Amino acid sequence: MDTILVRRKWEPYLWLLPSLILMTVFVVFPILIVFKLSFSEISRAGTVGGFVGLNNFKAAVQDKAFGTVMKNTAVWVVSVVGISTLLGFIIAMALNSEFRGRKIARSIVVFPWATSLVIQASAWNYIIKYEYGNLNNVLLNLGILKNAVNWRASYQIEFAWECGVGIFVTIPFVTFCVLAGLQSIDAAYYEAATVDGAGFWKKLRHVTLPLVRPSLTVSTVLNIIYVFNSFPIVYTITKGAPANKTDTMVTLLYMRAFYDQQKGPATAMSVIGFVILCIVAGVYMIMSMRGEEDL
Amino acid sequence: MKKLIALLAALLLALSCVGGALAEDDITLDVIICQYGPNTQEWFLGKGMNGTNFVEKFEAENPGVKLNLEVVSWNDVYTVVSTRISNNNAPDILNIDVFADYAAEGLLEPVSDYCPEELYGDFFPQFIAQSVLDDTVWAVPDLASARALYYNVDLLTEAGVEKVPETWAELEDACQAIVDFYGGDVYPWGVDMTTDEGQAAFAYYVWGNNGGFVDEEDNWTVNSDANVEAVNYAIGLVNKGYTNPNPATQTRYDLQDMFAAGKLAMLIAPNQLPTIIANSGNEINFATADIPHNEGASSGSVGVMDRVMAFKDTTLNEEETAKRNEAIGKFLTFFYKPENYVGWVSMEDFLPAVNSAVAALVEANPAFEAWLNVLANAKFYPTAKPEWNSVKQGVINVEQNALTGGDVKTLLDELQATLTK
Repeated sequence: MDTILVRRKWEPYLWLLPSLILMTVFVVFPILIVFKLSFSEISRAGTVGGFVGLNNFKAAVQDKAFGTVMKNTAVWVVSVVGISTLLGFIIAMALNSEFRGRKIARSIVVFPWATSLVIQASAWNYIIKYEYGNLNNVLLNLGILKNAVNWRASYQIEFAWECGVGIFVTIPFVTFCVLAGLQSIDAAYYEAATVDGAGFWKKLRHVTLPLVRPSLTVSTVLNIIYVFNSFPIVYTITKGAPANKTDTMVTLLYMRAFYDQQKGPATAMSVIGFVILCIVAGVYMIMSMRGEEDL
Repeated sequence: MKKLIALLAALLLALSCVGGALAEDDITLDVIICQYGPNTQEWFLGKGMNGTNFVEKFEAENPGVKLNLEVVSWNDVYTVVSTRISNNNAPDILNIDVFADYAAEGLLEPVSDYCPEELYGDFFPQFIAQSVLDDTVWAVPDLASARALYYNVDLLTEAGVEKVPETWAELEDACQAIVDFYGGDVYPWGVDMTTDEGQAAFAYYVWGNNGGFVDEEDNWTVNSDANVEAVNYAIGLVNKGYTNPNPATQTRYDLQDMFAAGKLAMLIAPNQLPTIIANSGNEINFATADIPHNEGASSGSVGVMDRVMAFKDTTLNEEETAKRNEAIGKFLTFFYKPENYVGWVSMEDFLPAVNSAVAALVEANPAFEAWLNVLANAKFYPTAKPEWNSVKQGVINVEQNALTGGDVKTLLDELQATLTK
């Protein structure tokens, strides 16, 4: 009897052990190393020296591009996560309704998600090219434009394109998270609401949204993390140019580490980013969980 | 249990003997080579060397020396090397463009410790001079390229440009003539101020105005009056609509494609451009000339040179180090043997770094001779100064800030202040 009890007590941990080992080796350990490096002197060639206190953090915050990049990162995360969540939700609602070709529509939605981000970003780079871009070609051939338009006329527009590509590739993930949530809602709720005289908007507000909230929380938290850490789109389209004005925190720290050979400040930036992410994702999760408890 | 322990002990003993035997007889060199083009990987590791490859051929000719050779793309090589240095796992031999950071931190072996004398005497002296820090040579050149002005003869002729521009004023006149004739269909002048190669744009203009990165005493002078004037001139070309529309994001490769497609009339590019144009399938009528300069200043080509260097291995004793250095010497001797090196240089269309390859290369391609003359008068980036990397990124930053309206003098003053503090 005792043996069975002991076995039951330890068995779950035994099953979890492989994942825990993997997480420790590939997640926890690298994070600890980055924390250690952020307080160490790192030479331009890459040799790691002694403890330098907060010097790397000071240098990171005093970096001339830091303010712009923090602002860009906020715009990038809020616009990409916010707009893709809204559009993903609408598409999921559409895909949840009965219509012919629904399966094909669902497959099409998944395409951007199934393609590598670098390939997506490179494809968009070609689409918006001034000289030979597909967008100009199509619009000129259709007679909508008389002369080619420079779709990258300023860095603000280029950054807006980057956000647009971010939204495009993020929508499928939100759509499928929400779709999974929508499919788990019992039809009886809608029937009851219809009997009570609720219209589309009332059903949406009082039935759909509360019941889909757990799926939305998961997709939003994961998206905040993915989008904040997203590197390929900005790096492929502008590499942060001109003069870091389209950089986000992740691309800036990469440039600082491997182009400017300022590895100390770069590791400090990655720690700052990690802390910001923990706070933002944590606050969002707590707020969402409170909301769920209120239901 | 005892049997098991005895078996394990015997196994360990046997393994240690094998290990000892390997250590005594063979030496393995860790080598990182940069990917210069599509043929690099094939030449070193595939079948690109007459059905065999560099590693196989080297190991067959040099018994006792094994190569653990990796071809790494230029995009990744700095990340790879820096990570390996951080992990105390630097390669034995590295092919890259920069060396000063590694030398300044005492990570490199002096060339005199591993390079055979006969081979050392074969390198172009002006190339060797580019790899000297504190009176010691830390790297040897592996190849070079030189830049010149390329112009589309037909486009210039049709636009009524009778003389290829030699001075900045003539360049502006030619640009205006092209704008007047073609409107927005042809860009007169190509400018690349991207993070890829914005430092080259800086060099073209400041050297064409008797400015530069350093003064005669080798002190940084990035904010000299000549440099301010030169960068203002370059930014002025962009603002007047004489260039490609997005110099901060359009790389030299984009410009070369535009030139090959007849969309760009003039650009400064390396000696490989004719091959790129030929491979593009386009047929354009083009020619080369000196890079335009300011009135009263002289024109000079920009030379770009890459290097091969050897990292120290502090885990080895004196005898082992001598043996390793001898192996590195064998690697270099084999690499620069004319029968191997000529194939390597011409395969990716570069210019040689050793005298012994010149005759064979000129015989194979007479156009090489003119480029060798260009190279002989070329100026090089001050890569022997440890701050070079910061300066390189700094001048790109200045250009990109100036493109968005920043004041060139203020920006260059700020950059200079970071170098002299």
